[in-house]
Amino acid sequence: MQLDPTVITDSWRLFVEGTFVTLQLSAMAFVFGLALAIPVAVLSMSRYTALKAVAIVYLAIIRGVPFIALVFIVHYGTAALGARTPAFWSGTIALTLFASAYFSEVIRSTISALPPSQWDSGRVVGMSRWQTLRHIIVPQSVGPMIPPGVNVTIMMIKESSVISAITVGELTYQGLVVQGNTFAPFEVFITIALLYWAITLAFSQLAQWAERRIGRSQKSERPMGGIADRYLTLSTRRPAA
Amino acid sequence: MSAPDLSVSAKALVRTVGTTRILDEIYLDVPRGQAVCILGPSGSGKSSLLRALTLLDPISDGFITIDGQPFGREVSRSGAVRHQSQAEIDRLRARIGFVFQSFGLWPHVDVRTNISLAQSVVLKRDETEIQTKTNQLMEQLSITQLAEKHPGQLSGGQKQRVAVARALALDPALMLFDEPTSALDPELVGDVLSLIVDLKMKQMTTLTVTHEMSFARRLADRILFLDHGRIIADGTPEDVIDASENPRVRSFFAKL
Amino acid sequence: MGFDLSYVLAALPDVGAASLTNAWMAVVICVCALGMGIAFTVVRSLKYAVVNAVISVMISFVRGTPILIQIFLCYYVLPIVGLDLNPTTAGILAISLNSSVFITENFRGALAALDDGPIEAATALALKPAMIWYLIILPQLLRRTLPMLVSEGTVILKNTALLSVITVAEGFRVAQQIGGATFRPFEPLIAVALCFLVLNLVLVGLGTALERRLILKGA
Repeated sequence: MQLDPTVITDSWRLFVEGTFVTLQLSAMAFVFGLALAIPVAVLSMSRYTALKAVAIVYLAIIRGVPFIALVFIVHYGTAALGARTPAFWSGTIALTLFASAYFSEVIRSTISALPPSQWDSGRVVGMSRWQTLRHIIVPQSVGPMIPPGVNVTIMMIKESSVISAITVGELTYQGLVVQGNTFAPFEVFITIALLYWAITLAFSQLAQWAERRIGRSQKSERPMGGIADRYLTLSTRRPAA
Repeated sequence: MSAPDLSVSAKALVRTVGTTRILDEIYLDVPRGQAVCILGPSGSGKSSLLRALTLLDPISDGFITIDGQPFGREVSRSGAVRHQSQAEIDRLRARIGFVFQSFGLWPHVDVRTNISLAQSVVLKRDETEIQTKTNQLMEQLSITQLAEKHPGQLSGGQKQRVAVARALALDPALMLFDEPTSALDPELVGDVLSLIVDLKMKQMTTLTVTHEMSFARRLADRILFLDHGRIIADGTPEDVIDASENPRVRSFFAKL
Repeated sequence: MGFDLSYVLAALPDVGAASLTNAWMAVVICVCALGMGIAFTVVRSLKYAVVNAVISVMISFVRGTPILIQIFLCYYVLPIVGLDLNPTTAGILAISLNSSVFITENFRGALAALDDGPIEAATALALKPAMIWYLIILPQLLRRTLPMLVSEGTVILKNTALLSVITVAEGFRVAQQIGGATFRPFEPLIAVALCFLVLNLVLVGLGTALERRLILKGA
């Protein structure tokens, strides 16, 4: 099997452009998705069944339909309703909806995980719901939201590769273009994969750094050494015999 | 007794959850300065009563007054029942000091902020007033040296004193204690007792839910015995613990 | 152009039938992914340093790259190293591998929460490791991770739609074809979205029913 590195080096500009577009899509979906996630999360935690139902239906649809279908629906749907959207923006909108659904679940589950006594202790001194939220609940939620939040971001970056299907020039699309020109799928797809891998690894590192600075690590170390650990632990650290 | 002399009163208080009446027509008048202990078997509604008095748990029926003022629901002159707005309820809540069983301290801020936060956010006091009050309370409860620490660094006894300081910071009309000794080591029970007795000496109305008999005997001016959501005994410690006519009450204390 | 419900209904039969392809592929993938996930977990528990290192790298790669790229790798690149698979098989392989990685990582967390007692007892009774896995660990593990497995199942179902890109004749591809033929691309897409939502509901319903049965048996 012959490996031809010129396939990659000749087209490096396309890969750079593709990476750039991927990051653009992801950055916008991150900002708008997070912004949209807040009202969705508020609705999903509402005391009124009707409002809660709206959130539940929204989440069920966004998370139940394959993302590729969502992308196409946004793209052709906006055209059908009269407003031809450029593919890039269709992709951004679809990715934003995707991100909003998952971010809202992160927000909801983190806030719900706080013991109700924290709500009580705020209300009982006369704080309003809003004051309790602002001074007691939100400050305690931000740290724990970072790890799952970064996971969602990484998921979103990977999902953006699907947007190549409506011919947006992000990384996967550029890969398909180069592969179409050079018929060298091995070099091209391995390179694309490595580029994505590098991006997501960078984000994971960012997450660990942020977690160390802001949140507290919640990993509880299982004491090593018992017979059962032969089965129940999968890492290769030697047990402290 | 005219209304302003009562720190807290309840009329026909009912709390229903599903099909169970957790509080079944409670009538209660607590004059200012009285120290009340609420006893009873588990599940009798003791903590529920305390929580209902602050409307932390909603009530299904009945009327509450705090310091003479209607709280939550009120009857207008024409006889119509009106539900107070959330803002009115929040305002009256600040008149009640509540100390939770597990203290409910805010872990993300230090002790000083735990005590001062509600003063600034709820009462909107100015900074100098807040600092004076906070320092005074920390002094009173011997926790000044803990001012910069976070709740996670405190022992149970220390946490409780911070919780009490936090409740006192708003100058409440009465203090409610929910099982103040159950989260602490047994040897600290005496400290908690002197803390609440201290408040009693300062004419503070207190309602304490407890299962500690000796505690109730030494602290209480008055004991309420709750069973299945009803007050079935109401009197001095001697009346209720030693010489009750009610067989349920007698058998409860006999077992201890 | 506007939205016309009649086109959605017209597309439903063909799209619906094709969606059954997604359904059976998903079932096959679930079985394979679970099997591979269990296999990976058992192998990792043997703690051979080199093997675990290789597996860790593989896990990082699979979690760090898009599933679409992994599908391309299985379809376009494997033939170069000799493994020429038809689109359906390549797709099933890619998605199975992808999900097996998530499953084994989830198993890792769940394993740490299991009790030592039953395993030590089994060892004391001279049960062989394979038996211990089969009789004691896996039943508990599967019961505890059932919610996660069901949610991974929904991910698998959605991922089958991506196989349209490598020419597998499933629901989404059929929807695209109908759209191309009728010059009304939007309505068939709505039809296939509905099919996926229905399949999703069925899957979640089965999962909940299974969970309830297991709770009755005492997890």
